[in-house]
Amino acid sequence: MAHDENYYVMMMDALDGELAETARNELEAHLRACPECLREWNALLAIEMLFRQSPVLSPAAGFATRTIALLPNRRARIWALGLVYAVLLLGGLLPVALIGLLVVRYLPILQDPGLLGHIWDSLANIARVAGTVVGALFAGAGRIFQEQPVLIGWVIILAGLVILWGGVYQRLLLQPATTESRN
Amino acid sequence: MNEEQVWLERARRGDKAAFGQLIEAYQAPVYNLAYRMLSNSGEAEEAAQEAFIRAYTRLDSYDPTHKFSTWLLSITSNYCIDQIRKRRAVLLSIEEPLPPHPALHSDNDKGPEGQFLANEREALVQGMLKELPEEYREAVVLRYWYDMSYEEIADVQQTTVSAVKSRLFRARRQLAEAGTARGITAPAEVPAVAEEILV
Repeated sequence: MAHDENYYVMMMDALDGELAETARNELEAHLRACPECLREWNALLAIEMLFRQSPVLSPAAGFATRTIALLPNRRARIWALGLVYAVLLLGGLLPVALIGLLVVRYLPILQDPGLLGHIWDSLANIARVAGTVVGALFAGAGRIFQEQPVLIGWVIILAGLVILWGGVYQRLLLQPATTESRN
Repeated sequence: MNEEQVWLERARRGDKAAFGQLIEAYQAPVYNLAYRMLSNSGEAEEAAQEAFIRAYTRLDSYDPTHKFSTWLLSITSNYCIDQIRKRRAVLLSIEEPLPPHPALHSDNDKGPEGQFLANEREALVQGMLKELPEEYREAVVLRYWYDMSYEEIADVQQTTVSAVKSRLFRARRQLAEAGTARGITAPAEVPAVAEEILV
């Protein structure tokens, strides 16, 4: 007897009490003619009965008391959160207030037209000093390499080890982290 | 404002006794869902406790336009599914007989024979449930024990109604197959839904 998936869908609807009159007649006729579908329907009914008769089980006595004892202290959490928010608020407000005070205090100086020129001079001086220091360091390093050529060899070996560690080890031995997803 | 909303409001402010009332009211459905999902009374109690603790700590995220029971059962089933996935590697074989639930031992109303049959039936139900994938199992439990609509199950499972229909469809067919293999047959007295169709 030919039958299609549609009859199974009808059976599910019938179990849910959602099968329309005409579809019910159609399914009924099909079940009378198709022993295979009738067997399936009877198996579905048996499961329906078995599961519907199975009781809602309760936990052992004292479950509520035991669970209440495990509950965290929400009041303390609410207070702690309030404290954190207050600290964050103060932490945000204080710098703003401080900047306001500084602006009020130093506004006359900031309005001085020669101020930008002074700042530029200061930055140029800082850059000059930094250049002198870096130049002296390079000169010193160059002299050391001239006097101790073996150091160059050690530096090359060290650089090789660093490249080996960073490139070969990480690419070959470390696997990318796997991610898990629900559903 | 009904009693449950009053308890929820007080619990939100940190009143453990008010949340205790909610635990009393929902302990059986939460525990039953955990037991049906995990098939172990000890693990079910732990899961039920964990679900209540999570609900209590996340009360601020509860949307009062939804049913509290749906939200609570959703937390429970998510936790149980996580537990099932974690322990999958050390799960007992499904061939191993399941220990009957302790509550069934203490049912004196049925007599020894009735108790034996109840235990057998429970073992059968749990054995078949265990064979289902966890999402199917969850849908079946919510449908049969909580009489939830497809929309409510979709809400708990955070999925679509068509996905729920598909899960239940496959689960029922799988259960019917397992039932046939175990020799379960429809009783002579058929339920109302079937009477209509088999006259």
